[in-house]
Amino acid sequence: MKKRYKIISILLIVVLCAAMSIGCAKSDPAPAPAPADSGSSEAAAPAEPAGDLSDIRVGFVASGMLGDKSFNDNVWSGLQKAEAEFGITIKALESNETADWDSNLVAMAEEGYDLIVTPSQLTETLTRIAGDYPDVKFAIIDAEVDAPNVASLIFAQNEGSFLVGAAAAIFTTAPDIEGVNPENTIGFIGGMDIPVIHDFLKGYEQGAKYVDPDITVLVSYIGTFNDPIKGKEIAEAQYSQGVDITYNLGATAGIGVLEAMEESGKFAIGGDVDEDSKYPGHVLISELKRTDVAAYEMAKAVVEGTFKGGLVAMNLENGGMGTTDMSVMKAALGDKFPEEIITTLADLRTKIMNKEIVVDHEEGFTV
Amino acid sequence: MDIFSNIFSYSIIHATIRMATPILLASIAVIITQKAGVLNVGIEGIMTMGAFTAIVVSSQTGSWLAAVLAAIAVGVFVACIISVAHLKFKADVFAVGMTINIFAISLSIFLLNSMFGIRGSFRPEDLAPLPKLTIPFLQSNEVLNSIFNNYGLLEIGAIVMVFGLRFFLNRTSGGLRLKSVGLNEMAAETAGIHIDRTKFMALVFSGVIGGLAGAHLSLGYANFFISSMVSGRGFMGIAAMFFSGGNPVISWLACLLFGFIDSTGSRLQAYGVPSEFVMMLPYITTIVVLSVSMWLRKRKSLLLASSVKTTGTHQLEDQKG
Repeated sequence: MKKRYKIISILLIVVLCAAMSIGCAKSDPAPAPAPADSGSSEAAAPAEPAGDLSDIRVGFVASGMLGDKSFNDNVWSGLQKAEAEFGITIKALESNETADWDSNLVAMAEEGYDLIVTPSQLTETLTRIAGDYPDVKFAIIDAEVDAPNVASLIFAQNEGSFLVGAAAAIFTTAPDIEGVNPENTIGFIGGMDIPVIHDFLKGYEQGAKYVDPDITVLVSYIGTFNDPIKGKEIAEAQYSQGVDITYNLGATAGIGVLEAMEESGKFAIGGDVDEDSKYPGHVLISELKRTDVAAYEMAKAVVEGTFKGGLVAMNLENGGMGTTDMSVMKAALGDKFPEEIITTLADLRTKIMNKEIVVDHEEGFTV
Repeated sequence: MDIFSNIFSYSIIHATIRMATPILLASIAVIITQKAGVLNVGIEGIMTMGAFTAIVVSSQTGSWLAAVLAAIAVGVFVACIISVAHLKFKADVFAVGMTINIFAISLSIFLLNSMFGIRGSFRPEDLAPLPKLTIPFLQSNEVLNSIFNNYGLLEIGAIVMVFGLRFFLNRTSGGLRLKSVGLNEMAAETAGIHIDRTKFMALVFSGVIGGLAGAHLSLGYANFFISSMVSGRGFMGIAAMFFSGGNPVISWLACLLFGFIDSTGSRLQAYGVPSEFVMMLPYITTIVVLSVSMWLRKRKSLLLASSVKTTGTHQLEDQKG
């Protein structure tokens, strides 16, 4: 009997280890087809890399899983671009378990990666360990860590959100579009109630109120970036409360938001990545947070030896932030599409870049 | 007043039932095993595998019925693994269950990647979802339509199962035998009941319901799959089971309570109630509900102990609780 116990416990351990190794499995660096738009200038003229760059290793510690079609995938695609272009080695450590993130970051640093890209959820860990690994370079997105080997990438998501907020405010009053109700209410759905999401919210509200001071913005948080069913429920709730267009910042959980949108025949705004064509005719516009550009630039800086610690601004002006051009929605709606949105947005964009409009930001999210 | 009616509008009724269903199915699955004296914590893993199988089969065959049957088959298979480990090799059921839960998540990620080359979410285009039940003449009225129409097959099915299970447990010899195993194994064995076989059947049945619960998640509630889709709904089901002391109907009410709190929370948030507070609500409810039920049961057992001097079955039931 005792022996059986032993066997079964050994088996369990094996299964557990197998499960863990699958969970943390190396994301196969499927040779990413170099994006066609990757600036043929750079691709065509390879900087004659001095020897093999494949021993330059760049890691990404994700606070979630790849495949979220949002933040994580975006960072990863930037690194894939760098991989294709420079022949460096890239690797992602993913986990849905908050407890794993710390150890994943430490493991990569311990391994001596040249560059490690992390999201803001790991700020505290990075602050603690950055000094212990002076030879490892870190790039943290959306947070500031004060260490010579850490580049803090600060995105002006408030600027992008300002634009889509203005777009939503115009859209919610558009006549003759099926699904747009007369109520002057728009929604905002954040994954978690954390500072970076507040930065989005501030810009969004300001943008909406810039267009229409009387607008109501309903704000909800899903509470997690990983539970799309909860996301769907939150969105259903908003749509039943007079919201006809909501800003989806739920990452993986946002998949549920978009499904609720389609089922109830309402509208949404994509967050961080281009979601326009995912549900044509339902997603008005997407705010683009070019974490791919940021990750790529960081990897490039490491390859070229120009990496510097400190704050790096990513905003409308330098292409770190942007929005989609709404062509998908325009094609779907035809004549009913309110042209006013496009002209207003172009105008606002220039005003923000000229600093005529100063967009509010959450404390700590400015350079 | 306007805000109040916006929060507690009629749409909350449907939302409550919708959110309660996955928890209820999980709860039904664990009630059966609990009655046989096995706490099936592997229910989350069974649901994850069920959800994965259902969406894959549905997208490949275009038949929701085939998908549901496949999900049941896989649910039973996973339950068999638990049974063999627990009943044959006497492994601790808690350890086995937790392993299954972690393993199922990882396995689904692995399979998704190796079969379809997909990472993260799986949302096939040609999907055959579970049918929704609609009563045509109610569609014209917005309120009645929201309250009575568009229920998924399993949202209704789960309620039927609640009463089916109640009948089975209280009115059939099989159900009574099952309960006797959970109450006092030795007495049941003396009475000629095959203990392990009964537990095995309970686990298999739990696999069937767990598979259905999974299919409901990926083909009914939502039409996509991600590995973290179950997200503690199985554990909520276990909490509902403990709350009810294994009574299917009370467990159903507990699930509705969870669903109601959750959907109220979703609606409250939009009106400036701090999200931290709203997100605490389901957990606070769980703790309060469990504490109250434990207190009630303790009081009941004290009353019994004072009236019945001998060690009756009631006390045993309490210990098993």
